[in-house]
Amino acid sequence: MPLHVLVADDIAASRGQACDLVVSLGHVAHPVGSGAATLERVAIGGIDLVLLDLLMPDMDGFEVTRRLRRHQTLRWLPVIVTSALQGDDHFVLALEQGADDCLARPLHAPLLGAKLRHYERVLALQAGLGLAAARHQAILDNVVEPVLTLDAAGRIQDHNRAASTLCDPGGEPVHHGMPQERLTGEPWPAVRQRRQLALRRRGGQRLVVEPGWSCWQGQGTAQHTVVMRDVSEREHVRRMQEEFLATVSHELRTPLTSLLGAIGLMAGSAAGALPPRAAALATMARRNGERLERLIDDVLDLTKIEGDRLALSLRPLAVAPLVLDAIAAIASLAQTRGIQVLADDGLPTHAAQLRLDGERFQQVLANLLSNAIKHSPPQGVVRVALQADAQAVRVTVRDHGAGVPAAFRARLFEKFAQADGSDGRAHGGTGLGLHIARLLVERMGGQIALDAVDGPGACFSLVFPVQDSGDDRRPGVLLVDAAASSPDLLQELAGDLVQVAHCTTIPAAGAWAQARVVLANPQAQGDADAFVASLRRAAGGRPLLLWGDCIDADYAARVGLPWLPGRRADRAALRAWLREAAPIP
Amino acid sequence: MPTPALQRVLCVEDDPDIRTILEFSLADVGGLQVRCCDSGTAALAALADFAPDLVLLDVMMPGMSGPDTLRALRALPVMQGVPVVFLTAKALPHELETLLLQGATGVIVKPFDPMTLPQDILPYWEHGRGVAGPQEGGAG
Repeated sequence: MPLHVLVADDIAASRGQACDLVVSLGHVAHPVGSGAATLERVAIGGIDLVLLDLLMPDMDGFEVTRRLRRHQTLRWLPVIVTSALQGDDHFVLALEQGADDCLARPLHAPLLGAKLRHYERVLALQAGLGLAAARHQAILDNVVEPVLTLDAAGRIQDHNRAASTLCDPGGEPVHHGMPQERLTGEPWPAVRQRRQLALRRRGGQRLVVEPGWSCWQGQGTAQHTVVMRDVSEREHVRRMQEEFLATVSHELRTPLTSLLGAIGLMAGSAAGALPPRAAALATMARRNGERLERLIDDVLDLTKIEGDRLALSLRPLAVAPLVLDAIAAIASLAQTRGIQVLADDGLPTHAAQLRLDGERFQQVLANLLSNAIKHSPPQGVVRVALQADAQAVRVTVRDHGAGVPAAFRARLFEKFAQADGSDGRAHGGTGLGLHIARLLVERMGGQIALDAVDGPGACFSLVFPVQDSGDDRRPGVLLVDAAASSPDLLQELAGDLVQVAHCTTIPAAGAWAQARVVLANPQAQGDADAFVASLRRAAGGRPLLLWGDCIDADYAARVGLPWLPGRRADRAALRAWLREAAPIP
Repeated sequence: MPTPALQRVLCVEDDPDIRTILEFSLADVGGLQVRCCDSGTAALAALADFAPDLVLLDVMMPGMSGPDTLRALRALPVMQGVPVVFLTAKALPHELETLLLQGATGVIVKPFDPMTLPQDILPYWEHGRGVAGPQEGGAG
């Protein structure tokens, strides 16, 4: 391919000679007589290379080179400077100003020929690279999702068109070198653990995205590319549905509150003693009102699970304390019915840990326990057992009632399944309990089953496979906090340093096995001094930190423990304490 | 110094029927002095001549919501250390958490049992007093 060579020289004779030489080498010559004319001509386009005389009267070759190099598109145009001056100093200066090459006058034909062939190859390579870059940019720009590339420190290197309208809270648009935290509000590199990010566009529009990260090596350091899938619409619909469910729940429960309240007061003779037959009617009305209440709860639960709107918060939890809590929670029902609920001796105190949603796991247990209590004969005993081995954790609830009729076993976990209608009514069940239990257990990765038993009664079992956590050598932190959302917050603040297990109250010994250190929030734990005292006893010398904003530094100093203010805690202070108290092995 | 008994309860609830049930439950069954208000604004005004030992507060009310009312109450010096218990028809665990994090002493879920409500609120009253620290003697 012949090159189009611009020959810039103010002296007509030498310009003519250079042009002849260029043409004789098989290329196309475009003569101009000044520096200004050079800039005008290259701006028009079609020039592949400039052969530039350094000494021209209006604008010399040095200045022309400087201006070309500052130009947005012409800075890659090869420039060969020529001069008849003695010595190399002026060539060195020209190369420093950005010239690509130099040639002494008079021009030596074979040398010029070799250089032009070299630039033919360079230009072909450049064109290939340019094409590839343009193709990548075109693909990126046509990706409807915002795409950002970040350097190893989380600063934005480049972005596609869909990302160009993103801005920080102050309205400053995304640009090269901007720390990603300005866009996402999340610190680097913890932002890479987030499942969703909230961003904003210029003009104030908010969007929710699910980021997909990839890490690659470039220029000797790690680079990160993130594709951000816009899920704003889906989130909006989800929120609308949640609000609808919350409203339905509220609208159903408000009249039920007055209804049950009025009937309860009547049945309790608060408005004067009722004649016996009227009292019987009030009791019947109350029983059915309560059943309606449970039905509302169950239908709302089921709507959430089936619509996949139930957000489980799965985290590693010790199973034994959850089982004991569930037994404690059902104690008053058991007492009313004269039934004993007993945990088998030796609930394993070693590490029976599972990834569970604690609330939902207890809901399942509560369902099994209340069924067992309702179906137990007077003075009966319900036994709860927990077995753990390397493969699975198994919880069983055994009663000694009438058992489940053989014909009904197949439908036991189906919707609105009850052995027979009269039975359901007698026990106030909704027919949804075991169905919801099955869905919840399956969502948490386990299985629920009715086991075969010797003798009368029924035995329900929950079996959860033990997840392999062999590679996780992060120190365990036990968080004792009445608030269910707090472990997420702590894990987020602590980052990857530790793995957080959570108990709402000071747990039985089993939950402590994997904990190296303990954080505890005295909020809603009764008397703070008593809480701290039993915490100290239970922790058995493990490092303790008081956590939360219901106490302050003065209180912590008085009981002689370190303290951080929970959600307002300084990330660095928390990490420093964790590093010292629980070094990674 | 003998432990003073829970005497005065302020109820804030927009539903008139539930107000009736609350009054019946706390006054007739529980023998407490009860003042019922139909909004957060009315509750703030009622404080001029009614010094409650405990407040029962509905969450979803038109205008000033339960959490709004809680913030306004907590800002008043006379309300420091007075337990505020939310009454809510929302029963999801994370919603209860959120309410507690907003500074409520406790949450009672609707429908509640009016025959036991006077006893059910006692632990919150005692807990609230514990958190408030030792009682200041006299009226200062």
